[in-house]
Amino acid sequence: MNFFALPVHFVQAPNELKAWFLSLLASFGVPAWLLVVISAVLVIGTIIGVFLVLFALTSVLERKILARVQNRYGPNRVGPCGLFQPVADGIKMITKEDLVPRSADKIVHFLAPVVMMVPALMVLAILPYGRDMVPAELDAGILYFFAVGAGTEVAVFMAGWGSNNKYSVLGAMRAIAQMVSYELPLIISAVVVAMVTGSLAPSAIVTAQGDFAFGFFPGWYVFTPWGFVACLLFYIAALAESNRCPFDLPEGESELVAGHLTEYSGFKYATFFMAEYVGMFAICGLLVTLFLGGWQAPLPFLTIVPSWCWFFGKVAFVAFTMIWVRATLPRMRIDHLMTFAWKFMLPMSFAAFLAAACWHYAGRGPLAWALSAVIVGVPYLVLGNHFTARFSVTNRRYQFSE
Amino acid sequence: MNEFLQRLNALSWDACSQWLVLIPSGVMLLAAAAAAALRNLIHAALCLTLSFIALGIVFIALGAEFVGLVQLLVYVGAVAMLIVFAILLTRPSDLAGAKSPFAGLGPVGGILTGAGLLVALLAFIFSSPVAKTALPPAPVAPVAKIGELLMGSYIVPLQVVGVLLTAALIGAAVLAMEDKQP
Repeated sequence: MNFFALPVHFVQAPNELKAWFLSLLASFGVPAWLLVVISAVLVIGTIIGVFLVLFALTSVLERKILARVQNRYGPNRVGPCGLFQPVADGIKMITKEDLVPRSADKIVHFLAPVVMMVPALMVLAILPYGRDMVPAELDAGILYFFAVGAGTEVAVFMAGWGSNNKYSVLGAMRAIAQMVSYELPLIISAVVVAMVTGSLAPSAIVTAQGDFAFGFFPGWYVFTPWGFVACLLFYIAALAESNRCPFDLPEGESELVAGHLTEYSGFKYATFFMAEYVGMFAICGLLVTLFLGGWQAPLPFLTIVPSWCWFFGKVAFVAFTMIWVRATLPRMRIDHLMTFAWKFMLPMSFAAFLAAACWHYAGRGPLAWALSAVIVGVPYLVLGNHFTARFSVTNRRYQFSE
Repeated sequence: MNEFLQRLNALSWDACSQWLVLIPSGVMLLAAAAAAALRNLIHAALCLTLSFIALGIVFIALGAEFVGLVQLLVYVGAVAMLIVFAILLTRPSDLAGAKSPFAGLGPVGGILTGAGLLVALLAFIFSSPVAKTALPPAPVAPVAKIGELLMGSYIVPLQVVGVLLTAALIGAAVLAMEDKQP
């Protein structure tokens, strides 16, 4: 007898609520086609609502965390601890004048923020938010994520070109070059997981990570040698895909003003901002699904906590590390960025690929562990030595803040 | 309770699958026509991208989920970006003096070519034995099955295409390499 088994009504609260509401409507004689529409609207509305609230919270928490790292206060005027700052920001963004350059391509300039927002919201459809909580159960969910996400590049190009500004075009070209380059390691490291699971369906990938080794150790893919490497590669590529520090040079202020966002103001700028953050959550969600066990609890007795709490907790943790990285690392140079993508990330993702294949065929036991660790470890040491040979790496000496 | 939801989902698919094919098909044709007709190259490229997207949606609505998603990934993610970059990296003056060898034929030539192609295709389609047999039930093609086929029966074509693409990649890198000799 499992003492921790809770009534399904508690753990599955969102699903149960929806089914209860729909059957209630059905008992009132609402026609079936309307129920279908209501069911879809309920799911879509919930997802959009949750992620917009997350976006608002993150926009203020990010500034608070950055401020904490940099030894200052951050926003603390509006509401308790500055928590209502997003409301003030929103009012400011909506009431600001919407500037469109006279020589801009009006239609393209107007459509760019819309095209940016659509894929960012659409990719949220395939993430498993909890047990039996996938809005769209697709056979090829991972493929869908990358296929729809490709629309972002079109939007960035439209923003850059439509503004008719040289900084915008340069920023957009940099952003697209960077996205195309980092999409390769991103997709390959996701393919590694699909290969080992034998499925492209996100829910199948999460289920495959549900076992506990020795009764307590979670079977997440990040705890295997190839999974660890693939997870790190995916994380770095995700930073680059969402244009975040240290890969935020498409908007490098010192050389490009704000890249493709230069000519945007008011609510259009806010839409870009929102799309970027929602895209960041989506890719964090995919990372959690692929490598961190999705909605699975980290320890067997913690399964009493609803699965969606685990999912959002893990997403929040990954998003926090992204903010942390932004506070810590300086921006990269464009040639370093490209060199890193093609000469380090790509070979390493192939190594992870090979290691995963060997891990699978060597029986997934201790021998497989050692073998795959060697296969990813040797290229890492060789490449690392090759790239750091020119520099003498020593401990940093702090001159001002000791 | 779950059965209730499943029944609803099946119902929603049956009700709108027809429109899911018809509407994107219309969008695709309109966007393709606009891509051919627009004077502004960037607008034409963006309209072409839209027709790629609509074609992907048609594939998905017809049940070819994998093909549709690959269509989106390859055509929207890569080919559209390639076209756009080609437009960005060539100056307008490069195109000003350029003239197609068939420009003298004018619109008549275009219409004749299109009509000829249509007739040839229709003749081929209606003379093919496939058109005379009754339609089999739509095959179910899960992604895993496609993967098995690609890695099993069709492994040789797949590898040949892979080699071809690698050769193209190396060729592009060689072209882009700086000439070391003075």
